[in-house]
Amino acid sequence: MKTVKIREDNCIFCHLCEVACIVEHSQSKDIIKAFKREEKPIARCTVEFNYPVSLSVMCRHCDDAPCIEACQNGSMHRDDRGYVVVDSDTCVGCWMCIMACPYGVIKRDTRREMWGLSTKCDFCPDREIPACVEACPNEALTLEEL
Amino acid sequence: MKIVIVGNSVAAINAIEAIREKDKISSITVVSDENYRAYSHPLLPNLVIGEVSRSEDRFYYRRPGFYEESKVNAILGKSVIKVNPKNKNIELNNSEKVEYDKLLLACGGKPAKPLIDGLELEGVHTLTNIKGADKLRKDLKNINHCVVVGAGLIGSKIAEKLAKKRVKVTLVELARRVLFPVLDDKGADFIHSELKGLGINLILNDSVKALGGSNRVEQVILNSGKKINADGVVVAVGVSPNIDLAKDAGLKVDKGVVVNDYMQTSDESIYAAGDVAQAYDIVYGAKRPIPILPLAAKQGRISALNILGMDVKYKGGFPMNSITIGGTSFISMGVVDSDNLEVLSFERDGEYRKFLIDEDNRLKGMILVNNIEKAGIFNWMIQNKFDVSWIKDVFLNSDFGWKYFNKAFRVLRLDRKIK
Repeated sequence: MKTVKIREDNCIFCHLCEVACIVEHSQSKDIIKAFKREEKPIARCTVEFNYPVSLSVMCRHCDDAPCIEACQNGSMHRDDRGYVVVDSDTCVGCWMCIMACPYGVIKRDTRREMWGLSTKCDFCPDREIPACVEACPNEALTLEEL
Repeated sequence: MKIVIVGNSVAAINAIEAIREKDKISSITVVSDENYRAYSHPLLPNLVIGEVSRSEDRFYYRRPGFYEESKVNAILGKSVIKVNPKNKNIELNNSEKVEYDKLLLACGGKPAKPLIDGLELEGVHTLTNIKGADKLRKDLKNINHCVVVGAGLIGSKIAEKLAKKRVKVTLVELARRVLFPVLDDKGADFIHSELKGLGINLILNDSVKALGGSNRVEQVILNSGKKINADGVVVAVGVSPNIDLAKDAGLKVDKGVVVNDYMQTSDESIYAAGDVAQAYDIVYGAKRPIPILPLAAKQGRISALNILGMDVKYKGGFPMNSITIGGTSFISMGVVDSDNLEVLSFERDGEYRKFLIDEDNRLKGMILVNNIEKAGIFNWMIQNKFDVSWIKDVFLNSDFGWKYFNKAFRVLRLDRKIK
């Protein structure tokens, strides 16, 4: 199964992966609307910087995903493609997946009225190549078998 | 093979999933005294005040159709009264017998009963299953002032939810702080202010001695002598493993059902997993029950693989909790308070971080309040007894992350080369 490989030596700290991720997960998939008019999605990848290190980190889609094991109601699950995704209709935002994730790549979306929402890389179900990989100008993120 | 599972919650469901991944032929029978499909226990307080209902998918542990798709014979609403290891069968309360080749005890825990007079009065509730939650929900119209006994996970959560429903709440806790085993004093202070902010009357260092009233509870009498007029009580002083079945069957029991590294009990055909089991705690360094959901899932899975003869070792677990009360979220794991460990801590602007490290530079526990998103990285370090000598200096940084790790290690980890 292919995953996003992180090649930190190639990273130029441009944040384009985050921009592409936000656009891909927005309602309109339009960059201007996503950033200006709609509720802006949270980027599923995070660019970290500590000179001279910079890299973008996102879900590693573990084979034995601890986040799935920790989920209290089956919202965190493996989809038909084999990637680990959240069912936003049922997630209650208890953050037990965050407690379990060995990579620290699940984020909290607390903007819903009633339930929080665990937000993580869903490997872009509507695309062949994930948006972050396609947007990266220097092959710091590539699609590979890990 | 005939596999029988007693219990129908997290450990049982994960066992079923693990069995069906490997084995489509063996028969699986699940017996539970609760007549519902597996549900999410942490949502019971939400169920009480109607934030979630039993018709919603989010209340359940798996989606409808799970039992049919997994080809499970579910005997629900019947309780197991006896396990006969010699004849390899179990007896149900309708005197039916079910034979097994391998048996998994995943029967969880029951609410601990404190020594309080008057627990039989009307208006006194516990909250560990749907039945208890329904009873409390229906009784809410009769409750103006509720005393919650015990400020553990269930107690603090139901106090918060009832206060949100504009019920007057008094929360009584024996210890000097709420959530005693999972927070230290400083961490608990965050929760104290949240609870007080919700209008909850918090009484620490005191406990309930007796409940007074003729038919329905009218008064709660504390050990300090204080008397509180109340028309509802929720007793939430913890859960204890349901060991009676195992004990009667002659299996080795202690606080829970004692299991080896393969989740096998003292009878080689019987396994135990989840809140009922007493398995290895890596941080504590001995076997003890740790009644938390992620470990029930893991143990259920591992016991199932061993039932199928796969020899998979349970490496041990440790307590961990993720809780939100009011506007404060925290995650804590392992040891949270100690005089014998190196302690790193930091508090500023509503954030609190604390790490406890032993003399061999192994992380033994931690608390993160409000900035919690990287908690799992520390979970991994505790689980893998990771040497933190070269990285602990940055643990207190609010922006702690992969950027602080040694490059070679980081690359190998993110490439999934080090598990």
